[in-house]
Amino acid sequence: MRGRQHKQPEEASVDLTPMLDVVFILLIFFIVTSTFIQEQALGLEPPPPPSPDNPDQKQDAILVYVGADNLITVNGRFTDITGVRANMERLRAENPESALIIQAHPQARTGTIVKIRDEAYNAKMERVNIVQSEQ
Amino acid sequence: MARRKRMLASDSTGEDDVNLTPMLDVVFILLIFFIVTAQFIKEPGVDISRTQTDNLEKQNPLGILIAIDDNSDIYIDKEKVTLQEVGFRIRELREDNPKGRLVLQADQDSEAGVLISLLETINKEDGLTQVPVSVEQE
Repeated sequence: MRGRQHKQPEEASVDLTPMLDVVFILLIFFIVTSTFIQEQALGLEPPPPPSPDNPDQKQDAILVYVGADNLITVNGRFTDITGVRANMERLRAENPESALIIQAHPQARTGTIVKIRDEAYNAKMERVNIVQSEQ
Repeated sequence: MARRKRMLASDSTGEDDVNLTPMLDVVFILLIFFIVTAQFIKEPGVDISRTQTDNLEKQNPLGILIAIDDNSDIYIDKEKVTLQEVGFRIRELREDNPKGRLVLQADQDSEAGVLISLLETINKEDGLTQVPVSVEQE
């Protein structure tokens, strides 16, 4: 009777070592395979779908055009990247309701477009559209 | 007597054994942490030079990465894809990762035409009104 009593707890305790081995291997696998990629991003608006009622909206819009040679014009006036914000703010002061359209030639640099969008964020422009000009 | 000796011996081995249960608990918690945080992201596998901007936002959790390299080629999951294929590839990747954010890694020397066409495709496929484009802090 006594013997059985002492045997019981001995058999009840499971040897955890092999399980610990497996768990460790799993742990190491997940540590090694986990990649912590960090991305910081700026939101760019896709071009709006073509609709016939756009033209009257375009009348009071600020148009920033980037040509194939990366020259920037704001409503027809040539400027460079540092002058874009001042130009945008001046035109918005004239017409506070105006939207901003960034029009890029297909061969323009992506960096220039992103920079202009960044300046528009700095100037707190609302209703920004990014469109492509024809060849 | 013999029985008693055995009993004592078994007792002493029981005390020699280190109790592994708390350690196992800790290891399990670590394991679960790594399983939960593991993100299996398919990287485009091209080096791009990012534009430096003032306004940026950390993208978390990441899901789909699409890259445009300096030759204006589009890469998804280490493969060069055409603009027509992108929609299909996004749908495919969305099945594995329905919640992760889509980030466009556009090289600053790539052509804007490719970027804007891609923005249009992403908007059509994923319904994003603002597509995150990877940038660097100025």
